[in-house]
Amino acid sequence: MESVALVQNKEDNMPNLPERKVGVVSCSGEELAEGTVARLAALRVLHEARPGKTVTICLPLFLAGGEGDRAFARFHPTITIDGCDLRCAARGTEMYSGKPAASIVVSHLVQEHGIDKVEGRRQLNAAGKQAVDVAAQRLTELVDEILGPPALTVLNNPASGPRQPKSGGCSCGSGIPTKKINIDGKLVELLALPLIFQQLRELRRSPESAADELLAMAKIYNLVPPEDEQTYRDTIAREYAAFCQEVSP
Amino acid sequence: MNDDRQAVVIVPCSGIGKSLGSVTREAAYELCDSLRPSETRLVALSKLVLGDAEARERVRTSPAVTIDGCKQMCASKLVRHNGGTVVREVAVFEAFRNHKNLKPEGIAELNAEGKQLARLLAEEIADQLDGIRRPGAEQGGQHA
Repeated sequence: MESVALVQNKEDNMPNLPERKVGVVSCSGEELAEGTVARLAALRVLHEARPGKTVTICLPLFLAGGEGDRAFARFHPTITIDGCDLRCAARGTEMYSGKPAASIVVSHLVQEHGIDKVEGRRQLNAAGKQAVDVAAQRLTELVDEILGPPALTVLNNPASGPRQPKSGGCSCGSGIPTKKINIDGKLVELLALPLIFQQLRELRRSPESAADELLAMAKIYNLVPPEDEQTYRDTIAREYAAFCQEVSP
Repeated sequence: MNDDRQAVVIVPCSGIGKSLGSVTREAAYELCDSLRPSETRLVALSKLVLGDAEARERVRTSPAVTIDGCKQMCASKLVRHNGGTVVREVAVFEAFRNHKNLKPEGIAELNAEGKQLARLLAEEIADQLDGIRRPGAEQGGQHA
């Protein structure tokens, strides 16, 4: 799982972002019963098997949302679960966000396990329910492979029961903080910059000495063209100085 | 229906983060499977994320009703992004304001109120289908 190793190698430089969790992206394909299986298996893992350790995002937000949404799979090692061979979740995640750490295709699992024909996109038949069990189990195993097995105390903790999202906007795991800055006359949106600023400020790094560190951290989450590195470095440092001035008592 | 292109395309968001997303999915099934199966055609939103050729063709050649659960309006945006015409843009959160006694709960399994809200939405859309399918009726952008 290349993407997981990548995340681990970078951890020393990572700002205090939200707790590292495994992303789960389901196709939720409405046309096929296997899409319902994918959705229900994802929800079971998110709400019952590994609550607090997993996070999700609605697949269409990669297109309909903002840069913070598209950063999802770059922040969270992500497992996609698809109903059919079109693999909309896997391909869409890779296309718009980041390469998934692992992928599941329900129709393949059904075949591998000799499950009868899955039917009932609105109300699954017995085979469909069996497919949900198998897919959720496989998804849970993959989550554990990425994060390491959970302690039994966590699994048995009533506080880690099903999550009921609160009202407001979409409550999937979207919304990585971003900041727009003007680099050489061009407005560029940089992921995680507010958190990077916050963290370095807490570490009492002065704007004068933090320029290289700021650039290094920004590059973890953003594509910085090599030829523009110096401009990015100087601009981010100026923005950090302004941030420090704003938050100074 | 003899000419499938005349069917109205129904695209729910099926948002996975909250109950209102499940209401969109349930409303779409109620409409397409129970109320008006011969006049509607369900299109999976995930196909429009990828720009699947068949799904794109479907939304480009048929009027579309989108059903969205949150203000991101993913279904509506993606139908338009793929060249489709949204003739009715249904927002469940708006409908919920008009039916505050029907508070949806549960995502994997909607509660009874959520299912009732979905039925009401489906019935409202079904009542509008004749108008939608009439030539020249594709004006778009209205909330059900």
